[in-house]
Amino acid sequence: MPEEALAKVEQIYQSRSSLAKELKSEGKKIIGYFYGLTPVEIITAADLVPYRISGQIKETVTEVDTYLEVIACPYTRNCLGLALQGKYDFLDGFVMPHGCDNSVKLYDIWKHNIEPAYAHFINIPHTRSQPAHEFFLAELRTFKRSIEKFIGREITEERLSEAIKLHNENRALIRQLYELRKEDPPLVLGSEVLKIISSLLSLPVGESNELLRNVIQELKERKAGSQKKPPRLLIYGSELDNADFIEMVESSGANVVMDDLCFGYRSFAADVETTDNPLKNIAERYLDKLPYPRFYVDRVGTRQEDLEARFGYLQSYAEDFNVNGVIIQLITYCDPYAFDLPDIKEFLIEAGLPVLAIEHDYTLMSIQRLKTQVQAFLEIIA
Amino acid sequence: MNTGAPESKTTAIKALEVTRKVRPMIKDWSAKTHEAQAKGEPVAYYFVQSFYEDILRAMDIISVGTENYAALCAAKMDAERFLDKAEAEGYAPHLCSYARCWIGFDALYKELGVMPPSAPDGGLARPTVMLGTGMMICEPRYKGFQASQRYVDVPMHVLNLLWPPFDANIKEVQDYYVRFTTEELRELVEFLEKHTGRKMDWAKLSEVTNLIERTLIIWNKAYKLRKAFPSPMPTEDAMSTMVPGWFYIGTQQAYDFYEELYNEVKSRVDNKLGVISDEKYRILWGGGLPPWFAMNLFNYFESFGAVFPIEITYHPLPPVEIPAGVTDPLERIAWRFFKQFTYRHEKAQKHTGHPDVEWLLEMIDDYKIDGVVFHQARTCRTVHCGQLHEINVLKEFIDIPTLVLESDIVDMHYYSEFETKKKIEAFIEAVDTHKKSKR
Repeated sequence: MPEEALAKVEQIYQSRSSLAKELKSEGKKIIGYFYGLTPVEIITAADLVPYRISGQIKETVTEVDTYLEVIACPYTRNCLGLALQGKYDFLDGFVMPHGCDNSVKLYDIWKHNIEPAYAHFINIPHTRSQPAHEFFLAELRTFKRSIEKFIGREITEERLSEAIKLHNENRALIRQLYELRKEDPPLVLGSEVLKIISSLLSLPVGESNELLRNVIQELKERKAGSQKKPPRLLIYGSELDNADFIEMVESSGANVVMDDLCFGYRSFAADVETTDNPLKNIAERYLDKLPYPRFYVDRVGTRQEDLEARFGYLQSYAEDFNVNGVIIQLITYCDPYAFDLPDIKEFLIEAGLPVLAIEHDYTLMSIQRLKTQVQAFLEIIA
Repeated sequence: MNTGAPESKTTAIKALEVTRKVRPMIKDWSAKTHEAQAKGEPVAYYFVQSFYEDILRAMDIISVGTENYAALCAAKMDAERFLDKAEAEGYAPHLCSYARCWIGFDALYKELGVMPPSAPDGGLARPTVMLGTGMMICEPRYKGFQASQRYVDVPMHVLNLLWPPFDANIKEVQDYYVRFTTEELRELVEFLEKHTGRKMDWAKLSEVTNLIERTLIIWNKAYKLRKAFPSPMPTEDAMSTMVPGWFYIGTQQAYDFYEELYNEVKSRVDNKLGVISDEKYRILWGGGLPPWFAMNLFNYFESFGAVFPIEITYHPLPPVEIPAGVTDPLERIAWRFFKQFTYRHEKAQKHTGHPDVEWLLEMIDDYKIDGVVFHQARTCRTVHCGQLHEINVLKEFIDIPTLVLESDIVDMHYYSEFETKKKIEAFIEAVDTHKKSKR
């Protein structure tokens, strides 16, 4: 029933692994994965359940201190810490895409210490040239073969096409959800959206689509939405997979109406093309269409044109969603974003958007300490 | 975090005569970069171990190593103004201090309109192009140059240089990895021809590639001599002697240097000339870029009779066999890269699971090591995350004392001389106890 959809989302969000464990007890195999860079279509086509690994901001994970240095990304440390605590024991395997330097290291450490039945690292070029495309397609063939070996059967092109269709549908539904944020006030809070996405990413895609349809219907039927607030913000930056940061911003007096986050719109903005070469189409989406800072956008033209090529889509988002301020949140030690920070700030400010750049270390305390800065920023916008 | 500026001179006292040639080499190269700039000739910003050297030498394009410039600034105690400038421009203090140093330099240059006054070796020559790499291990290699584009508006190119993960089936993946690198190198040549006006001399490229391969052979041969007792050449010397190989390889000068190095080390071995007169402990520098502002720490170890006969960091890559029938020099380079960066993958898959741990075990055995020291540089996640894992895996296979020193490569704010020395003293005691227990 639609009325129960959001309640179900909250239930799943608070205990993300519960449904995955139920599925496992029914005989399904669950494959954990990191980042929106993982081609989940291949996992779904193998009749496995892709499960997006996330951290838990409220958990202090000291177990990780003897496994991964304190100078490593706090998000990856947190995830590893949870795994060391046994919180990811229900996973039958995991997939790590080459997201950043930390991901490369985490793969070996996770594999050695957690000892999953299946593990695979997908190498991803930083560039988008023709040789990079050819390489990445070959790399995805290697990944597909490794999953086939794990499940003991071939993944047909037909199954791949079906999986692409399901995941495209999922992405289209998410984009429908985001349309509800264009309203003023938005029909759905930014923190709710993150919880919805977090929940969906713990489900098989078919169930995810069904839940999402019900969620959208329930939201459309909402009598009382959020409160109208002058600041309409876009949140950008490092991995944000818990709602606490956005809740902090919203409680400070803003509506978070848009995002470019890995656990947000970035993972759902673009679809896989559907031609008669499904694996190639998957490769093209994951190499070309995801605006992570780990991808090097070829420098063409003037500096301004370069910034436009790298960040122009954010200006489009801001226009479409009537955004009047941007918060760039960075996790300490998140190098790719930190290198980009002066450039992206310059671009956004030139585009007429006020920008607040803040850093936290993926702990609840560090997020809560940012409230004063956020409030001061919101006063400027208001 | 302690702010402990070293109390006195911090460069290491070295054992070998040949190390005295390194500094003049660096100065001479730097002078050449400035000359090239003055004449309007192409100058390329580049990053170490990026496999550009063959192509740059063949096209007669001089390279400016921004990483080693940062290390020079640190050794000269003149990095702080550049680091501060980068931070003022919005680059976080936890970012790679090599990158912050050159970004800060570029920012300061742009602000002043001239070379920052009294910059070491006359400063960084202004580049015509920037050449980044992605690799598997270091985002600053391309993100740092992308950041520098704020201040130096020149074309930029990125090589990926990917290698397969440790658990990959090498035979399954090698063809497409090598093909990718070969095509990338071809694109690099096209980029350089377009933006520098220089044409590739393919015959010269083959010669340079041969020279590089011969240089690696003599360099490795020289280092194998260091297995001798007493240790003829310590790590603090190697942090100098690596410079020609990592930054000037592909030149006759680099080859000649390693020939001279080989001869000197051989002479020391033949005459049983050790680094110190009373060698009690042999320590492996197991990993981590060194604290360039405090290289005299090696001499501090020596004051306890502890010598570093060998090191992982900046050790020459191994000479490798290129498959028969490879005639394209770019493909040759690609195979060299692939084989060097998967050198111990298959061995690791049958044993420790970690190629670098295999290397540590080999060195511990070959060089008769009593203890292993790592350095964790605060701003370098690239090299320094994963050390704990290496140590954990290492200890599954061997019982040996280990020490992790913590500071940074360039940024002295993360260094405490007092705490570091205390850790070293405690480690030496542990090594002594361990060694006695084995008798």
